[in-house]
Amino acid sequence: MLDSISFFRVVKAGLTNFARNIWLSVAATMVMTITLVIFGTLFLLFILTNYSLSTIKNTVDISVYFKSGLGEDQITKIKNDTSADPKVKEVVYVSATDAFNNFKIAHQSDPLITQSLNELNDNPLPATLHIKTYQLDDYPAVAQKLESDQYKDFIDKVNYEDNRAIIDRLNKILKFIIAFGIGLVVVFSIIAILVIFNTIALTIYNRKEEVEIMRLVGATNWYIRGPFLTESTLYSIFSTIISGALFVPVFTKILPKITEYVNPQVNVYSHNIFNFWYLVLILFVLAMVLSTVSTMLAIRKYLKI
Amino acid sequence: MLARLLAYSLTNFPMIKFENVIKTYNNQRALDGINLQVHHGEFISLVGLSGAGKSTLLKLIIGEEQIDGGKILIDEIDISKVKKGDLPYLRRKIGMVFQDIKLLPKATAFENISFAMEVCGHSKEKIKEEVPKILELVGLEKKSNSFPHEMSGGEKQRVAIARALSHRPVLLLADEPTGNLDEVNASEVLDLLLKINQLGTTVILATHAVDLVNKIKKRVITIEDGKITMEQEQGRYRL
Repeated sequence: MLDSISFFRVVKAGLTNFARNIWLSVAATMVMTITLVIFGTLFLLFILTNYSLSTIKNTVDISVYFKSGLGEDQITKIKNDTSADPKVKEVVYVSATDAFNNFKIAHQSDPLITQSLNELNDNPLPATLHIKTYQLDDYPAVAQKLESDQYKDFIDKVNYEDNRAIIDRLNKILKFIIAFGIGLVVVFSIIAILVIFNTIALTIYNRKEEVEIMRLVGATNWYIRGPFLTESTLYSIFSTIISGALFVPVFTKILPKITEYVNPQVNVYSHNIFNFWYLVLILFVLAMVLSTVSTMLAIRKYLKI
Repeated sequence: MLARLLAYSLTNFPMIKFENVIKTYNNQRALDGINLQVHHGEFISLVGLSGAGKSTLLKLIIGEEQIDGGKILIDEIDISKVKKGDLPYLRRKIGMVFQDIKLLPKATAFENISFAMEVCGHSKEKIKEEVPKILELVGLEKKSNSFPHEMSGGEKQRVAIARALSHRPVLLLADEPTGNLDEVNASEVLDLLLKINQLGTTVILATHAVDLVNKIKKRVITIEDGKITMEQEQGRYRL
């Protein structure tokens, strides 16, 4: 399409275009930046909500506390009965001794608890089963079965927290973010396209003479279009840099806190829920799509080749 | 296609052939059944009143306008079938100058010519080497660093001709190049066109300047209302 000399000259002409109408270029870059920031914010909200949802779904389980003094064989029988249920994904057995040890280890730094534990002659913690099902909707049925008369003599308590209301609400929020977000992004994308379209149209008008001469002396079509595409690529690059910079504090300060709040088990140092550079890449791709579309439209309408 | 264009001078067939060419603007016939052959090395004066169709004819040759009927063959190639993307390469073989000159106002004579070479991908070294030679050919070697507003009309037109020559075209189309010039400047430009023709470039000069045409004494084609009404070898301007 273009050899390296021509490519260099096209880029140079694009830079000149950008600099010649510096205030127009600033305006176009700003509108693009606003669009990218809105998109990026909504995108992160979406990711965050989605992440919270899956984390909460993961934490849902049924805890079964056995009465004390129960034989291992009886517990194993109940465990096997439960595992046999096709709805059940996983059953984990924690014996009373294990539970006690775990508790001790978890609170070893708390002298009050350690001291109280040492004063105990007996293990106050019961043996426990932790059950997960495949489907969220299956928890109530499995819990109900364990609460039935059949197991009344062995099981002290079935603890099941019904998180479905929260999950439903999060799902609704997610849907809202998607609908509202798409609407907002579309509106701002259209504004960005219109502003860039007009900016490029004005540049084409300013360079009318030059373009006419280029055409007459046999410049190829891409050589003539190139500077305008370069100009709009510069808008994309600058707006991506600015919006990316605006997201840096979000990634270093805000996101880790939210992630830790939602899921305390996550190692703060290990990862953010989303890679910063992926976000930058997505923003750049969006910017390039918007600016290329509007520039091609302006070229088709105003650049006579 | 380029290779065939380059082979112009080695061939016997006409460089340009119009076969019953029709061009319409808003249902008005600008060109109405034009038949014309231009041979290699010719100097043709295309005469007629304003609006007779001279400019339209030239624009069709460089593919800036599309014909509505008939056929135009350049080096036996039907130019209505040349792809839009290939037109620039055709234009590099055809130089064109205009009445309104069309120089970049903020660029010197040198820069105006180098601009044309740049956009066609010539290297900086080649440009530095070629531009002074072309300026010398048109007799403006001393005006290399002058801006258009510092030059006379004739000098500006000679820069435009130099620019058109920068690709070493095989054909030079001049559309009223002396239209805005006084007699002295006009005859300077004409002399330059004749010189270029002598060096082997085919020239088509569209004009309505009676004196000039009578001085040239080469082939004259008269157009009236989009039709060729007269063809004379070594002719004079008659209307």
